[in-house]
Amino acid sequence: METLDRSRRSVLGAIATAAVSLASLVFLGRFFSPRLPGKSAPLSVPKAEIPRNGALVYRERRVAVIREEKGYHAIGLECTHLGCTVAVTPNRLVCPCHGSVFDRRGNVLKGPADRPLPKYAVEDKGKHLLVYM
Amino acid sequence: MFEEFVQHLFPRVVREKDLKIAYTFCLGGMAFTAMLLLAVSGLLLLFYYQATPGEAYRSILFLESSVAGGSYLRALHRMVSHLLLSLVFLHALRVVLTGSYGGVRERNWMTGTGLLMLSLFGAYTGYLLPMDQLSFWATRTGMELLAVAPFGGAVRDLLVPDGVGMPVSLLRFYVLHIAVVPGAMFTLAFVHFFLIRRNKGVLPYL
Repeated sequence: METLDRSRRSVLGAIATAAVSLASLVFLGRFFSPRLPGKSAPLSVPKAEIPRNGALVYRERRVAVIREEKGYHAIGLECTHLGCTVAVTPNRLVCPCHGSVFDRRGNVLKGPADRPLPKYAVEDKGKHLLVYM
Repeated sequence: MFEEFVQHLFPRVVREKDLKIAYTFCLGGMAFTAMLLLAVSGLLLLFYYQATPGEAYRSILFLESSVAGGSYLRALHRMVSHLLLSLVFLHALRVVLTGSYGGVRERNWMTGTGLLMLSLFGAYTGYLLPMDQLSFWATRTGMELLAVAPFGGAVRDLLVPDGVGMPVSLLRFYVLHIAVVPGAMFTLAFVHFFLIRRNKGVLPYL
């Protein structure tokens, strides 16, 4: 009976160890994935500050709100090549890192980027625009 | 190999009366457990703390508001630090009351005193790190007190070269708190256990 007893204890020990390790891993996984700021809240943009046929650039949030004759649209400024922040010029968006060029709609005019810049939904709230990023 | 190492931490023979809880109240062992808990929770806090005057308090707020278990870990680290100080003091009191500080044990009384000082210093350096009003003024008054003592001015200039709450001072407190003090404490703790074993005392971890 001696050997039986010991093996039962070792099995229980192994189960307990596995349970504790699993719980620790779950906790660490949650601990290392914090809620990052600015992912969910929409960006509020005062319409009056966007120049006609121009753009308002938020470098920190990496977004440009562009005004055209017909309306507004928002384009993400993270280059689809390697993630640099694209510079906004009067009629083009140019990446300073490797020279990708995009038009005012975010479409690629010149590589190395091969995908258009992300477009964000814009909601008209009267005096303000809400940009959902 | 690990098992052999653990075996060597324990004496070959244990007297039954040494195992009674009222003999030592396990205060040193509990203090060491508190040290281990502080090391683990502190290691996790390191992943979010930023030791710059501008970011320190904000990183604490971020930890408390946006990290799963963040405020729990921080509260644990703080409470266990209080617990460690209480246990170390009670342990010293027990040693005094049972008269087990003299003779062959005198060297271990010295290492124990060193551990007491280091615990206090660790608590003091950790107090500044959140950079809230309490930390700032407590450290400031502490440094002014220190300046009154002989050679205190020189020590203060070494600890806070650019004044409490400034970048270099905060960085010094941070490095002392996360590297120098814990390193010295664990080293001294193992010397402490080694001396218990050599003086044929009770189990090192009891």
